Amino acid sequence: MIKLRATLLVISFLFFTGCEKGYLDEPKPTESVNSSVIFESADGTEAFMSGILRASRSQFDRTDAGGLYSMYFARVVKGNDLVLGQQWYLFDYENNNREPNYTRTIFSWEFPYYMINQLNQFILGINGSANLSEIEKDSFLGQAHAMRAFYYFQLALEFQHTYSYDLTLPAPPIYAEPAIEGKAMSTLGELYDFIVADLNIAIETTPTNRTNKSFINRDVVYAIMARVQLVMGNWQEASNAAAIARQAYPLNANQYRTGFDDINASEWIWGMPQRADQTNYFFIAPHAFTDNINDGYGLAFWNKDFVSLFSATDVRNTFFDIYGVGNGNQYFARASSKFTFDFSSDIPIIRSPEMMLIEIEANARLGKESEAATMLLSFQKNRDANAVSSGNTGDALIEEILLERRKELYGEMGVEWFDAKRLRRGITRTGNHRIGSAANLVPDDKKFFLKIPQKEIDANPNIDESVNSNR
Amino acid sequence: MKYILISLFLALFSPLILLAQQNIIVTGVISDEFGMPLPGATVIELGTVNGVSTDFDGNYTIEVLEGATLEFSYVGYEPQNILATAENPINISLMPANELEEVVVVAFGTQSKQSIVGSVAVISESDIQSQPATTITQAIQGSVPGINVVNTGGVPGTNPTIRIRGIGSINASAAPLIIVDGAPFNGNLNSIAQEQVASISVLKDASSTSLYGSRGANGVIIVTTKSGTKETPTRISLSTVYGNSNMATPMHDLLGIDDYTRFFWEAFRNKELYENNLSPEAAGAAASSNLISSLAYNPYGIEQPVDSQGNLNGTAAWDTDWKGAILNKNAYKKQHGLSISGGSEKTTFYMGTNYIKEQGQVKTTYFERFATRINVDSEVNDFIKSGLNVSYSTSKQNSPNQSGTSFSNSIQWIYTIPSYYPLYQREAEGTLFKNAGGLPQFDYGSNNSQIVNGVRPALSNENGLGAIMNNEILKTRTYASMNGYIKIELLPELNFKSNIFYERATLDDFRYTHYKFGAASSVQGRVSQDRNFFTTLNAIQTLNYSNTFGLHTLNADAIFESYRLEQDLLDAQGTGYLPNVTVLNGSTVPESVGGAINEERILSAISRLSYNYDNTYFAEVSFRRDGSTKFSKDTRWGNFYSFGGSWILSNESFLDDVAWVDYLKLKFSYGELGNNRNIGFFPYLQVFETGYNQLDNTGVISSEFVDPNLTWEKTALQNIGTEFTLFEGKLKGSIEYYSKESIDLIYDKPLALSTGNESIKTNIGAIKNSGIEFSFNSTVLKKDDLSVDLGINFSFDKNEISDLTQEEFINGTKKWKIGKSLYEFFIRESAGVDSQDGYQMWYKDVLSDDGEPTGERVTTKEFSEATRYYLDKSSLPKMIGGFNTNVSYKNFDLSALINFSFGSYVYDGVYANLMNGFETPGRIGHPDLKNRWQKLGDQTNVPLFLNQQNDFNATSSRFLFKNNYIRVRGLNLGYTFEESWMEKYQIKGLRVYMQGDNLFTFQSHKGIDPEQALSGTTNYRSHQMKTISLGVNLQL
Repeated sequence: MIKLRATLLVISFLFFTGCEKGYLDEPKPTESVNSSVIFESADGTEAFMSGILRASRSQFDRTDAGGLYSMYFARVVKGNDLVLGQQWYLFDYENNNREPNYTRTIFSWEFPYYMINQLNQFILGINGSANLSEIEKDSFLGQAHAMRAFYYFQLALEFQHTYSYDLTLPAPPIYAEPAIEGKAMSTLGELYDFIVADLNIAIETTPTNRTNKSFINRDVVYAIMARVQLVMGNWQEASNAAAIARQAYPLNANQYRTGFDDINASEWIWGMPQRADQTNYFFIAPHAFTDNINDGYGLAFWNKDFVSLFSATDVRNTFFDIYGVGNGNQYFARASSKFTFDFSSDIPIIRSPEMMLIEIEANARLGKESEAATMLLSFQKNRDANAVSSGNTGDALIEEILLERRKELYGEMGVEWFDAKRLRRGITRTGNHRIGSAANLVPDDKKFFLKIPQKEIDANPNIDESVNSNR
Repeated sequence: MKYILISLFLALFSPLILLAQQNIIVTGVISDEFGMPLPGATVIELGTVNGVSTDFDGNYTIEVLEGATLEFSYVGYEPQNILATAENPINISLMPANELEEVVVVAFGTQSKQSIVGSVAVISESDIQSQPATTITQAIQGSVPGINVVNTGGVPGTNPTIRIRGIGSINASAAPLIIVDGAPFNGNLNSIAQEQVASISVLKDASSTSLYGSRGANGVIIVTTKSGTKETPTRISLSTVYGNSNMATPMHDLLGIDDYTRFFWEAFRNKELYENNLSPEAAGAAASSNLISSLAYNPYGIEQPVDSQGNLNGTAAWDTDWKGAILNKNAYKKQHGLSISGGSEKTTFYMGTNYIKEQGQVKTTYFERFATRINVDSEVNDFIKSGLNVSYSTSKQNSPNQSGTSFSNSIQWIYTIPSYYPLYQREAEGTLFKNAGGLPQFDYGSNNSQIVNGVRPALSNENGLGAIMNNEILKTRTYASMNGYIKIELLPELNFKSNIFYERATLDDFRYTHYKFGAASSVQGRVSQDRNFFTTLNAIQTLNYSNTFGLHTLNADAIFESYRLEQDLLDAQGTGYLPNVTVLNGSTVPESVGGAINEERILSAISRLSYNYDNTYFAEVSFRRDGSTKFSKDTRWGNFYSFGGSWILSNESFLDDVAWVDYLKLKFSYGELGNNRNIGFFPYLQVFETGYNQLDNTGVISSEFVDPNLTWEKTALQNIGTEFTLFEGKLKGSIEYYSKESIDLIYDKPLALSTGNESIKTNIGAIKNSGIEFSFNSTVLKKDDLSVDLGINFSFDKNEISDLTQEEFINGTKKWKIGKSLYEFFIRESAGVDSQDGYQMWYKDVLSDDGEPTGERVTTKEFSEATRYYLDKSSLPKMIGGFNTNVSYKNFDLSALINFSFGSYVYDGVYANLMNGFETPGRIGHPDLKNRWQKLGDQTNVPLFLNQQNDFNATSSRFLFKNNYIRVRGLNLGYTFEESWMEKYQIKGLRVYMQGDNLFTFQSHKGIDPEQALSGTTNYRSHQMKTISLGVNLQL
């Protein structure tokens, strides 16, 4: 009797705690989605592209290694026009930051490749999608190929001499699809061919409309193409691309007075937006570093020699004597109000004035000097009502154009470094620098590019120590 | 007939008659087997609450009813029952309890110590209670061989890292499984009050942990909380402790302000002289004129405090003692506890309440906890037993940053910012700045309206003391658990037990960053708050058969277990606060909101069979099959098993004549167990992660590459050992050899950065851990009133990588390669300083034409060209162990616990940064810098000062130090008051004691706490505390 009761109790317990079929199949991830959601609808695919764009402007590693904007600012401080105080980027400022285990080296390699991998997965997923229409596929593919070309271009700029130096030199490996095993180094020639091929695909398929200016559209593709062709020395192609790129973006010098922090300014072709709830806080370059008034780092100043090149009526003359040193030659003598910093300051990547100047320079080099000079003057007048024609021709005209590029783009994408590298010139420090001639660069200086990161060599069976032996 | 009736009448009315019976006085002496009196032994009149204790000489006197049964008992001895008669004295000699019949808590139940074939170590109640501490794991350190407990950092309430028998996993958790009262414990260990713990069993080998097979590969720690005892009068015990703490080991020394200033001048001068090739005069002048602009602050008030010859002219207007400002000189600790326990014939209960508050080293750090527990067991009827354990604990932990590299880490602050920089804000001329209220304010070093004394070159926009005072990091935890069981006896040999366990833990992590100063000042303050709930549900059904046929005993178990853990996470963050508003309602701009739910489930079927013949030959075998939701459907089931046996040699006839062997047992076990902890919830799924929104668009990115075939990590464990008692009980001990091979390790294998992924989580490689453990205990002296017990335990552990999927890979300061250990350093070897120019050199292999090392070495000054070497130095100790002693003399008792570690090396990154030689301005240095190279021909191992980016203090053997230490972890001296004195106040027991924790530490490398992470690298952690406390235990 007792045993019967007990047995019944036991059975009821087993029943109560028995498992249901599929008990182990129920739990699923709640904060992520799988590829079927992403590639089977245009909304899903756009979500992936949005995420990729956000990743390009997030806080990747540390204050001076946060995203694309950090790579640009590291180039800015290598020049002669900006004078940096004792703050982040100081070793870039000293042109002494290229060893295999330094943050700059690792970040400049890791970040573009991170973006390239995401883009490779994007391209692979779209090509394999069953539900997207051809038009949708083309549009997305165009954006992805263009961005991939852009990041390979950054790798080419950072890790080898310029295009015209020697195309057989080893260059960062090329991944056309996602891979788990590391690849061997490519050559500089192969890399540029790949970049141009990607851009050509993009030009065919990328539409002109886009959700907002942080996305890539056909104009952005042409703008990237213009820069690449400029570096390659293909003046006609550069000029054509630049002309198309800038068409929808009329000049408007006003933003020099309003803080250079609004992506909706008419001149901005492509930019990185920030918002109070989607921000990189103090990583935002150049704003956090060059704004000497608001609460950022604010320890970047400007070379008096550079400042003296601006006329008083030039709208881009944003310089002032912040500490009241008068004629003193301290490194902090001149500050600038070009960039205003707060957590929602947008960051420019490419603007139409740059395209116009590419067109002007290309024309000058192709021998169309009077066209170039006319366009140059109209540009100068847009920025400075009192501008008059200089009458320069030949080399003097080229120098004037290069100076105009510096005056227009200071602080933005490292124009001095970019130009010196592609034209195989040096950079000489003059004026009131904190670190002067010790940071000079000679033409074709190795300091224009970085060594290959040690971490890559350690984990990549196809790249060994010897890759750094003559860098 | 009449007599029958009268007898019946008497029997029926005997209670009344009994009432009329006399009370008698019984006296006597209770002694042990040697005839020595036992003070504090108990005499109880069975069935009543009437009981006494013996006095100092073993005498007792008790008034009882004639014919009552008296029970005489003493801890560790077999109780005896005697009928009370008027014949006096009744002297009793008690025999020691057969220790081997002692019951030990093991997996899913208890076993007699004798029958265990595996490796189980027990920390008994007396050991636990003799060293009261905040976290229960402190009792384990140094008392059990083969366990490495590392307390990283000095924040009270932090749980240590525990490793049993080496390191068995790399990425998956290598921590042992913690079981509390039979169910896996997912809460925070700091929620359990040590006072409420009865025993801790540590299961180390395969056969003992096999019943936890799928998560027991790294060992299991079983914590059993106190319960009442049957038929004992209710006992109340109260305890109070007050203590005072400071740092157990000293921090590194730092340069004083004048030395710092002169040395920085020298560093700048050296750069101009040796790197920029100025003349010595020009270099000196440049250094003098650039000193203030480089350091950005000027405490000396004159434009060039150091002249061009390097002489300091001037006195500093401030000299900040950062350490004194940030650290507490003395931290206090207090603890109060109350417990009530008792039992009737059928039901026992234990109720405990405990409160503790402990301050930490960095100002405002504290840990406060309130924990309550009720355990009830009852025999409901003659075939059903049931029990319920309920516990609740709530704690608050305020801990400003004290580890890691955030600017606000107080310890990093002390080791970074020189006394050259002021605590309070200064005007450009150096006078103290006063705010609108006329008060000074902390200097955050971010005042860019001033070019001098405005922006600090290092850690700007923060202040070491300001971060502590103005910000808040508060963790509030609650933990509630309910553990109930019902046990039904179906047949005398067949039992069914159903155990259900429910646990709910919450964590509220609140952070406030000040509205006006520091990192959130530009957004007027930030509050970020996480509120996470963790729910665990565990149901275990056990069917147990146990029977004896003659000399054969058979035990069989069939167990079915289902386990479920749910994590419910929520976080919110907002900015824009008015002064003194620190709640999210007050935020002006919501910055982010997040939340997720994650769940893990396991289903298991387990069986075990054990057999013994004549209590001399034992054999055990078990098998287990588990399915986990962490792996894909195809790879989610794992099979685990173990078998083992033991032989009690001392029961054999051939050992009967060997007098010096009292007990000798040989045992061995082998098994394969699994591990799947701490690898994420769905590590095999390639997904797109949300949270990458671009303006108004929802955004996702692809997660890292995954291995869809990821499966259980497996460990094969082998254990061979012996346990013995020799020389008539004078020496007890055990020696065990173990070997653990983890195969299919779950590891984040590094990938080439150019693939866009840092690593992929996959099953690769194998690690082997092996070692020998020794444990000896002896009652060295037992005479008159003095007894001395000594115990020592130590183990030698070896760790070796036995398989990898690629030839080798570099992992920070280590390189993993077959045959090497996980923690063997692989770094550049310092070749000292070149006496010609003062630059640091390292060794570099000379390569032959085909790129192979020829065996010869040269020195180089290019750090990136220097070769990395295995230096035969590992961060894992070669030998760890502990030494304990218990001494008692009359009413005094002393117990001491010492633990030690030899053979490990530590890479002191803190010291390396202090030796940076002024590479960047604004960072403090160590006084050892005084020995730097200064001129041609100087022989020293400190390179010249150089204010330029260099590799002098980059990772190399220069900063690799021996890390041997011996620590007096606990010392407890107590006095138990006389029985007779206490009786007057109706107190059953009173003990006062003084306790020292971490009293002395002898270390081979000073300046850091010897307990750093297992990987042997430092991380700017606060040191552990040394505490001296006074305590009282009162029993009523």
